[in-house]
Amino acid sequence: MSVLLRHLPLVLMAIAWEMATRMGLVSQLALPPLSQVVLAWIEMLKSGELVANGTSSLWRAGAGLGLAIAVGAALGLAMAWWRPVNAALGPLVEMLYPVPKSALIPVTVLWLGFGDGSKILLIFLGCMLPVTLGTFNGARGSDYALVWSARSLGANRLSVLWDVVLPSALPEMLNAIRTALALAFILLVSAELIVAREGLGYLIGYLGANGTYDAMFAVVLTVAFLGFAADRAYQALMQRLLIWRD
Amino acid sequence: MARLTGIRSETVPATQPDAILRGLAAAGRLAPIVLLALAWEALAASGTVTPFQLPRFSAVLTRIWTDAIADDLALNTALTLYRALVGFGIAAVAGILIGVGMSRYGVVRWLLDPIVSVGFPMPKIAFLPVMMLWLGVYDLSKIAMVVLDAIFPVITGTIAGIAGVDRQLLWSARNIGATEREVLWQIVLPAASPQIMTGLQVALPIALIVAVVAEMLMGGYGLGGAMVQASRFADSRGVFAGIVEIAVVGYVLVKAMALVRRRLLIWHQEAEAPSTL
Amino acid sequence: MGGRVEEHNPGNSGSQIVIEGVNHLYRPPKGRPLLALENVSLEVRPREFLALLGPSGCGKSTLLYLIGGFLPTERGSILLDGASISGPGPDRGIVFQHFALFPWKTVRGNVLYGLKKMGLGRDEREKRAQAFIDLVGLTGFEDSYPSQLSGGMKQRTAIARTLAIDPKILLMDEPFGALDAQTRHLMQSELLGIWRRSPKTVIFVTHDVQEAVHLADRVAVMTARPGRIKTIVNIGLDKGDPGITKSKAFIDTVDAIWGLVREEAIKAQGARVSS
Repeated sequence: MSVLLRHLPLVLMAIAWEMATRMGLVSQLALPPLSQVVLAWIEMLKSGELVANGTSSLWRAGAGLGLAIAVGAALGLAMAWWRPVNAALGPLVEMLYPVPKSALIPVTVLWLGFGDGSKILLIFLGCMLPVTLGTFNGARGSDYALVWSARSLGANRLSVLWDVVLPSALPEMLNAIRTALALAFILLVSAELIVAREGLGYLIGYLGANGTYDAMFAVVLTVAFLGFAADRAYQALMQRLLIWRD
Repeated sequence: MARLTGIRSETVPATQPDAILRGLAAAGRLAPIVLLALAWEALAASGTVTPFQLPRFSAVLTRIWTDAIADDLALNTALTLYRALVGFGIAAVAGILIGVGMSRYGVVRWLLDPIVSVGFPMPKIAFLPVMMLWLGVYDLSKIAMVVLDAIFPVITGTIAGIAGVDRQLLWSARNIGATEREVLWQIVLPAASPQIMTGLQVALPIALIVAVVAEMLMGGYGLGGAMVQASRFADSRGVFAGIVEIAVVGYVLVKAMALVRRRLLIWHQEAEAPSTL
Repeated sequence: MGGRVEEHNPGNSGSQIVIEGVNHLYRPPKGRPLLALENVSLEVRPREFLALLGPSGCGKSTLLYLIGGFLPTERGSILLDGASISGPGPDRGIVFQHFALFPWKTVRGNVLYGLKKMGLGRDEREKRAQAFIDLVGLTGFEDSYPSQLSGGMKQRTAIARTLAIDPKILLMDEPFGALDAQTRHLMQSELLGIWRRSPKTVIFVTHDVQEAVHLADRVAVMTARPGRIKTIVNIGLDKGDPGITKSKAFIDTVDAIWGLVREEAIKAQGARVSS
């Protein structure tokens, strides 16, 4: 019941949307009534347009993010564990971190064209560093007593990395991945709006150019909702993985 | 040096005069940039990649220089900065106001809470075409987009900062007879300022990125527009030049923000600084 | 006094651990290096319970870490059964003051860890783990996470985890220091009980004189920094006697040793104020 109450303002907004457009307070051209948007959404679902483009988008985001997590975490761990690696790569990471990732959109297109490759590369490059930094910081914070305990229980140095350092880094790493997840969506949508031939971002642009604004709004809301849902789902996953925390 | 047995041994720092040490430290910070530039140049010159895929660093620098002389660089940079900073400014003021409103008035809190918490993780950039539809393809829509994206971290930072204000501070102030307005301006906001500042520091790079992306989509002048133009003409030097330019602008903004933070929050830092005993 | 001071007698061929002329330089990340241990020589007999006692900063934990192989021995030598120490290993188990349990593993998971590293088969592991969990009195808590346990329970888990791999030496770094007084006394008796049932060499670091006299066969009193062995006291008391801590012999021993420690504690305080 309280969940409903908390989200009531959104429901009110939806009602206000519908009423304002129906009553002509707002031009129906600029803002199609919500009911119309919903109908357009259902249409696209049935025609398969939504699913096809949606799958394309999610595949790109997933692949890019997956790579970013795998490489980023490994890099962060390596930097935390081996001094020379940190000395060599640390300043580089620090320097490249604040570069605005969307500036890479044109260059990935230059390299890999308009298809999946450029988006996956973009998301990989953009999301990797936050994961690296989070993993690094988490790993650095490993308790030496845990490392020593593991060693005196028979673990060799490499085991310690996997058995102690990585789990110690997990909380911060998972937080960084949450940021990377949001960033992945942003980069995906940006790239697809500007330089793509399929995908949800492309679909939005296409529908907008065609003047079918109700469908455009439908896809915009879908994308926004996907980003929100992904975040919520990830939060739930984080809770399960970190169940051992107090 | 003894052989390590699983623990990194500590190294003894050299004891050198302060100025030399600081000079070395500054040089140390530049070193990775210099090394990166050299590596870039070497890789590009080596022939493993085509000049199209990776133009030489020197060529990119030359390109930036020619742009600068032709005033293009100044124009584009100024436009992008204008859009980003105006949007940021509006987001900052509005965000703080909304944050204060939400902290003080339960109704406002209830009304806006779901919007903020649902809106935060959304890729709001998806609303760019909507902005274009409503506000056209000039500065207004770009600035509006920046505001939409940058306002969220400011709101959450403000709320967090105000929530963290020491209750006893508030009680003492009211006890002395301060009015609500005085309490707000002289106690609450200053106490909340570290976290508000953090929110602003997060919002600024977002403002820049969104401005650039909006420009990329809508074309025209601005750093983003120039880059997209370059990529359409397969002008790879132009694209790389754009990356360097945006990176520098981003870096300068972040550093400037950090400086502002240090100045404004100097009292905070001293309170946090360790005693000299 | 119920204890007997004995002379250092290195070269005693019945010793399990021979520490000779060990010096250790502590190098903090900022500031100048400090000599933590100076010319420490000590022998530990098989299956004896030895306490390292001294004021804060005297280097007793450092000595423990050197024996454990967590810190490199830079000057001097530490021999275990004639062989030089070259790093941590399952022959020297360690229990820390703040438990050092793997927070992401359950009690059972923690105890199983060392057993897995030993390469035991699954059934064997599970049986052994359960045996030791029962031994320390944690039956029923196998699937709890450390964050759900009290301090005493956490320390029992840590002890079970270390004992499960049957190390030759048990190193304990002020293991009861983070517990409240009642739990501490309880744990001391339990530790004695466990030790008497399956005797092992124990090197126990503490700054609590009573604890040292209650638990140990011999107490090595260390000086303030730089730490060296000041005296070694033989505790000839019957630890099995439940009322031992109230006996006159016990109290006299504690008193005498406290006198020794107090000198060093005062020196340590003085050093801190002036540095």
